[in-house]
Amino acid sequence: MIVGATITFQVEVLSILIISAIILGLILAVNRAVKKADPLDKPKGILLLAVIYVRMMSGLAKDNMGNIVGRNYAPYLGILALYLALANLSGLFGMPAPTANFSVTLTLALITFIMIQRMSIKSIGFFGYIRSFFEPHPLFFLMNFFGKVAPLISMSIRLFGNITSGTIIMVLFYAFTGWVAALVPIIGVIDFVGPIVAPVLHFYFDVFVGLIQMYIFISLTSVFIGNEYSQPE
Amino acid sequence: MELARGLVAIGAGLAVLTGMMTGLGQGYAAAKAVEAVGRNPEAESKIRSMLILGAAIAETAAIYGMLIAFVLIFLFN
Repeated sequence: MIVGATITFQVEVLSILIISAIILGLILAVNRAVKKADPLDKPKGILLLAVIYVRMMSGLAKDNMGNIVGRNYAPYLGILALYLALANLSGLFGMPAPTANFSVTLTLALITFIMIQRMSIKSIGFFGYIRSFFEPHPLFFLMNFFGKVAPLISMSIRLFGNITSGTIIMVLFYAFTGWVAALVPIIGVIDFVGPIVAPVLHFYFDVFVGLIQMYIFISLTSVFIGNEYSQPE
Repeated sequence: MELARGLVAIGAGLAVLTGMMTGLGQGYAAAKAVEAVGRNPEAESKIRSMLILGAAIAETAAIYGMLIAFVLIFLFN
């Protein structure tokens, strides 16, 4: 431990733990339902939802990456979509959204980035990968390098920026409604204007933007990985 | 000191102007998507997902501008 360093406990850690617990509970419930289910029977209840979800995710993966690679990456896309959806929606329940912390989005984008590079090395070989930095001329090294790193930066900042802007705008909005409410003499001590006007904004900034960004993140992940795979043919 | 705060505010406003061209681009993309759906309506779901993806990528520049504005307002105030 470095002397003088202070450990800061970021509040997002708590909501990450809560979201992970929710996902774990969901997975265990689905697992129990799958074990009890009769394969010849029609699925219903939570099992039906799970079947629809899995089919949707593997369809999306196979559309963007082809049948063979898509089957391998579909589980990752599925759990990523679930995690991002819950993380982006957690602002609705009063928890700080984990995706409003740059460490979280950078980690998620880093996983995608490593997967892209791995797929690239796998499809064109290690020397082909090294050579792809110096094409069409060694002078292009810097441009190729930034071209490879750009998805990492743009994906992480896109998710972070969208969720953070929603959070900051809601904070500013509540400050404003609190100021308006304080103009009324006696009941002005509580912010009674906010709950009337806020639901529409919450719907846009938390639900709409959150789910759209989730969709964009997983489709960009699958599109980038699929691009690297289909290049050699 | 007052002058510096005013300049920071002007800088934040200028940074948010990146949204102008993004709005133009997204509107153009939406118009083209409507045209495409009119031409072959059976491809609607595919066009919708492509439109959302394209609009989101076009939005990145505006998000960067907004982040810069936030950094200016909250860090240099």
